Amino acid sequence: MAGLLRRDMLGVALTVAAIMLPVVGAQAADPIKVGVTITQSPPGSVVQGTQVKDGLEVAAKIINDAGGVDGRKIELVIEDTQGLPEKARSAVEKLATRDKVVAITGEHQSSAALAGIEVAHRYKIPYINTNGWSDVIREKGYPEVFNPGNYNSRVGSAAAQTMKELGVKRVVSIAENTDYGIGLAKAIGEALKKVAPDVQYKYETLDRASKDFLPAILPMRANAPDAIINLMLPPAAYIMMNQLYEQGVAPSAKTWLYDGSGLADYPDFWQNVKEAGKGMLVFGLYHPKMAQPALGKQVGEAYTAKTKNEPNRLLFQAADSLFLIADAVKRAKSTDSEALIKALGETKYTGTRGEITFSKDKGYAFNQWLDVPYVTFQLTEVNQKVGDSALVSQAGQPLDPAKLWKPAK
Amino acid sequence: MAPSSATSPAGNRSGAQLSNTKTTVEFRAALVAMAIVALIPLGVSNPYWLGVLIVSMYFAILAGAWNLLAGYTGQFSLAPATFAMIGAYTTGLLNHYFGVPPLLGIVAAVVVSGLVGLLLGRAVLRLVGPYLALTTLSFAEIMRLVASNSIDITRGDLGLGVAGLLDSRVGWYYLFLGALVALLVLFYMLLRSKAGLFLQAIRDDEVAARRAGVNVVFWKTAAFAISAAASGFAGALYAHFAELVTPELGLIGQTGLIVSMTVIGGMGTLAGPLVAAFLVYVLSEWLRDVGGYQLVVFAALVVIFARFFREGLWGLARAAVQRWGRA
Amino acid sequence: MSGIDVDLAVNGLITGLFYALMAIGLSLIFGILKIVNFAHGEFYMVGAYAYTLIALALGVPVWIALPLAFVVGALLGWLTERTLMRPLYAGYTSWGLMRDEYAVIVTFGLSLFLINLVDKVVGPYAYRGPPLVETSRVVLGPVLISGHRLLAAGIAIAVIAVTAALIKWSFWGQQIRAVSQNRLGASLAGIDTAKASVIVFMLSGGLAAFAGALLSPVINASPDVGIFPAIKSYIIVVLGGMGSVPGAIIASLFLGVIESFGAVYISFQYRDAFGLILLMLFLLFRPQGLFGEKGREV
Repeated sequence: MAGLLRRDMLGVALTVAAIMLPVVGAQAADPIKVGVTITQSPPGSVVQGTQVKDGLEVAAKIINDAGGVDGRKIELVIEDTQGLPEKARSAVEKLATRDKVVAITGEHQSSAALAGIEVAHRYKIPYINTNGWSDVIREKGYPEVFNPGNYNSRVGSAAAQTMKELGVKRVVSIAENTDYGIGLAKAIGEALKKVAPDVQYKYETLDRASKDFLPAILPMRANAPDAIINLMLPPAAYIMMNQLYEQGVAPSAKTWLYDGSGLADYPDFWQNVKEAGKGMLVFGLYHPKMAQPALGKQVGEAYTAKTKNEPNRLLFQAADSLFLIADAVKRAKSTDSEALIKALGETKYTGTRGEITFSKDKGYAFNQWLDVPYVTFQLTEVNQKVGDSALVSQAGQPLDPAKLWKPAK
Repeated sequence: MAPSSATSPAGNRSGAQLSNTKTTVEFRAALVAMAIVALIPLGVSNPYWLGVLIVSMYFAILAGAWNLLAGYTGQFSLAPATFAMIGAYTTGLLNHYFGVPPLLGIVAAVVVSGLVGLLLGRAVLRLVGPYLALTTLSFAEIMRLVASNSIDITRGDLGLGVAGLLDSRVGWYYLFLGALVALLVLFYMLLRSKAGLFLQAIRDDEVAARRAGVNVVFWKTAAFAISAAASGFAGALYAHFAELVTPELGLIGQTGLIVSMTVIGGMGTLAGPLVAAFLVYVLSEWLRDVGGYQLVVFAALVVIFARFFREGLWGLARAAVQRWGRA
Repeated sequence: MSGIDVDLAVNGLITGLFYALMAIGLSLIFGILKIVNFAHGEFYMVGAYAYTLIALALGVPVWIALPLAFVVGALLGWLTERTLMRPLYAGYTSWGLMRDEYAVIVTFGLSLFLINLVDKVVGPYAYRGPPLVETSRVVLGPVLISGHRLLAAGIAIAVIAVTAALIKWSFWGQQIRAVSQNRLGASLAGIDTAKASVIVFMLSGGLAAFAGALLSPVINASPDVGIFPAIKSYIIVVLGGMGSVPGAIIASLFLGVIESFGAVYISFQYRDAFGLILLMLFLLFRPQGLFGEKGREV
């Protein structure tokens, strides 16, 4: 019997060792802890995650170098979501309960944001959605969630407007099978019904995990539409674009390629697509020729100094997310969630892209900065930097199809 | 390629008596370990670490269920995570579309996953080794593809929001612990009964077991169904704990984690996989903080254990205790 | 046959050729050791990275990088065989269940290990391999195809033909076939079965890596890129009759065409499920595969 017991104890000792390992709670500390959920490993977009991380770090440095917020430094606590809702959910949970952060930001994928906001809502922690475009995030009406970034309805109406100005008759969207992709494909359809009701529109959803899209593309070759709208993200988007080009579908003399998902400013864009990107029209949230407040210039320069890369939209969205939190802490004179949420709701702050305020209307406009600036530009050469591309229209100005570059027959 | 001669691989299962004693020792060790786990909330109130332990218990149930199938019956299924996913979607869909209360949904999940397990178990009855692994792997991938592509029903990768069950984290902790202990007792009783003998006889030599009059078809299928039902139960509990059901629950990587826990803990031992589930999961949370090497480390451990220490941590621990006892 | 059907058939056949490069090695390993190598996709992944990084980072010409990818894959195959497959020989004549379990666990673990190691060491970013030729489009009657894909298909045909010929007529090929037909008999007849296994693993790793390299300009290298070709290979090996090389080649082309048409005429979303369903049906009802001899016991 003694032998048995001794053996029992061993298993027990193992378990105890496992459990006692690092049970160290978060300490109340001087710095203002801001939680960050981003993708740092696949299958989500690591490129996006890295851009957001750099943007937040640039902004944190600017705030901290200027003495912090009322003397308190900003400290970022970063969690990897892999772009998976389930991981995003547990990441927010971890930040809220273990790290006791005052606010959460950084999320750049809609599906991950949708899982994350549920937890933020449960713990009543302010959540600044950096780049989740899905309208559903807004439609939930959670008072904790603020959206200084782009939203699907905005892209939908921009894309529809561009299609109208191009004078096309048949349009096909190729969307990834996520809430982001399908939501955007539907939003474009809705907007087209309003601005150009005679355009024939349909969308195809493709699995983002897929590695070969030829079977979806071949049928288009026989009867190519006038425009194809890309609503997929890398790396699937790159494979799809290469195959569209290889099959002569788009960009071609007959068919425009329009990118609605912000591909052009990824650092690995040209390495992955080459000719397939030449002639692509881009819905852009940032272009160096855009008008920008002084803070935007400062952040852009700091980013280039830090990473040697050209500034990009996610950098500014991420930086604004953090500036908004700092601004709200300052005005609320507290890091208490309720006071912060109230202060965020009353935001009137000139960030890197313009003056940010949050709408209180219901639906997609809830807690949304409605006037997110955008442009349309065209990539006219392989390996062209966004800064050298042709800015073909700013918001509100019409686009002239005759001035666009088009591949020869 | 039917098994011919009956060399018992571990060499320690040579009689009913011995096997029973061994199982009892393991059962007691597991109970003591669970008793300690039960005391933890008295000292640890941080919801994050409680959450980590709750997920460990989820994996402990899955590892235990898979161990019953693979370790004790020799049916090497690569679909344990899939049955958890099926359980989670059963209660998730019932709750989401028909407002079925979670407790009822969990019961339905056990029934549905058990039935699917029964059907699959019946279908793969004749398959062994690589054939069984491939068939169950395909089943797992098909189910995951269906879950992530039936967007109109499951909302795809976005996941399905479902109702919670308890507000208190400590409550969840004891609910999962209760479930784990209940299954542990169930498996113990099963293994101590004639069924346990039959299952292990089938694992060691199916042909001989059949000749000795064991109803091979019945017991193999039953093991499949029970294992699937237990996994579905864990998945359903987890669905209401996380309040989100996604196809990720059925990812092949999840199965990898379950297999790792079982192999590292010791296949065919009652306590090993349970204790290893805690070790592996808690350690992986910690490794995530120090550079995210958790999967590299565990995958390497799996290969090393499979290559050199077939009986896992449990076997190592037993050998150490025996040496100590002799000294 | 309308234009699109010709397209689908041609593209399906080309995809099938790449599948065949992958599946031959898996089939050979099954033949000789009666195990499924669950790390087979990672040989492909390593090949894709080896080619891409050797060419891009070291600036080595693509025509040298391509055979180097084969060499890297073969070395990995050799290492795998030497370190992990040896226990499979012991007591080979008595098929214990533990043996099958060991093979599944150890190759499954190796797969997880390699994916995550590359993810950590090389990074999770996708890399596009440099194409062998820059010509982007070639018109072949009704079919449009990229220059690289066409050239890669040609190379694949050549490599498959050489491999099949070697297995059929070369000295070692005959030994390998002897071992896979009857290991005990072969070993009694004085064939070095251990050496046959090493050769098969090196060939298998090399071919899979070669496939990864050839496809890297089309399917960018990433840590998890080996998963899909591995799953296709499992399907093919089952369809072709486990262990049969000609069966695997025919099944590869068959699967490529089925998927190509199925994606258009049935469902693109569920394209990857077709093969898996076929695999399950075959294993359950016709385990000898499309062409295998009847009565093989499984």
